[in-house]
Amino acid sequence: MKQIVGVADMKVSNNTAVAVITYSLGSCIGLDIYDPVARVGGILHYMLPESAIDKEKAAKRPFMFADTGIPRLFKTAYAMGAKKPRIRIFVAGGAEILDQNGFFNIGKRNYMALKKMFFKNKVMIDKQEVGGNINRTVRIEIATGDIFMKTSGSKEVRI
Amino acid sequence: MTALDKMIHEIKDLTPMPTVASRLLEMVEDPDSSMADIAQLIQYDPVMTVDILKICNSAYIGLKRPAESIKDAVNMLGTDQIIELALVKSSAQVLSGDRKGYGLEQGDMWRYSVYSAVIAKQVAVRLGLKNKSTIFTAALIKDIGKIILEKYVSKDFQKINALVKDSGYSFREAEKKVIGIDHAEMGALIAKIWKFSPRMIKLIHHHHLRDESMIDDREIAAVYLADCICMMMGNGVGSDGLSYRFKDQLMKIHGITHKDITGIIAEFGLNMQEVNELFKMV
Repeated sequence: MKQIVGVADMKVSNNTAVAVITYSLGSCIGLDIYDPVARVGGILHYMLPESAIDKEKAAKRPFMFADTGIPRLFKTAYAMGAKKPRIRIFVAGGAEILDQNGFFNIGKRNYMALKKMFFKNKVMIDKQEVGGNINRTVRIEIATGDIFMKTSGSKEVRI
Repeated sequence: MTALDKMIHEIKDLTPMPTVASRLLEMVEDPDSSMADIAQLIQYDPVMTVDILKICNSAYIGLKRPAESIKDAVNMLGTDQIIELALVKSSAQVLSGDRKGYGLEQGDMWRYSVYSAVIAKQVAVRLGLKNKSTIFTAALIKDIGKIILEKYVSKDFQKINALVKDSGYSFREAEKKVIGIDHAEMGALIAKIWKFSPRMIKLIHHHHLRDESMIDDREIAAVYLADCICMMMGNGVGSDGLSYRFKDQLMKIHGITHKDITGIIAEFGLNMQEVNELFKMV
């Protein structure tokens, strides 16, 4: 059974029959977390680094931003029995257009926002597929924690 | 027959945009066309009339009382929105197929096109452009060249991709180098054969800002920027990925800041559900 994570959305599950999937990450980030003991996992698909640009929109769509979405992803997983020391993390997305520099590089800024929060909270990334000029689709199997990634025109690969 | 002759032949074999869409395109650009003209044009197409009324009377639009005729709908929603609905509806036929050459599944290209169009309108507002429907339309059909070019891209994908990955080419530049024509030029050629206006042809031709001398053109800037934003959002992006050039200079010239761009992305993120509802209806 597929649970689809839309854009500016999050899904967490402890149902071992479920695969959580998010499509077409461009400069957005797909943050996958998984606890292999509790068998709880999920994906957050956020679009922008900071909610400060529009508090009102952040209140309506907290999963649109890194700073409002990431804590909710972890808290939801904890509520289902996941424990911080066991959580494995995979990060995908953050792609950029050619020559997209500085402030305009939203992909890089999205990734930096996550790194900053992880550094503060002493969270380590296990694997990542970030940057570059490709878009990515990511899927996680809740039963095993296996992660699969696909880019347009290519076959799906296991991470 | 040269390769280009063969391509032109293929364009002539394409199912063209429905007549009502081509006429609408002309009206969008004609400052003298009135609300009544547009309502009348749509009324001549019974299928289009029924579809538009269905959308107008759905929860997506949320009218207080139902529209019973196109004239009603135009009065209640305004000419722009009716034109846009009619264009989105009629472009589905041409744009919704899969484009395997670009790694696009059924519906991907069309979804990308509609997102681009919706965002282009936001950008047009930001740039203070008057004819928003023209910008909406250009963004909607800008990738039409991919319909013909996908076969050629598919055949030479390895060569094109190698230029992008190893030699610093953008995907458009690599198409041009390997095939001799890129999808923006091909789109302009189709638009010309389909007798679109010179302005529409120009907007399609320059939607990746191939020629830096066009950088001051605000309409081109709007279509170009909408495409960049859409690429960043990733939805409907194919195997060409985000391999196109971003021009900082264009942002400076038109006074666009990163805050504007993140603002547009946030706005679209908020309304995305409604746009997706529209797909289900069309």
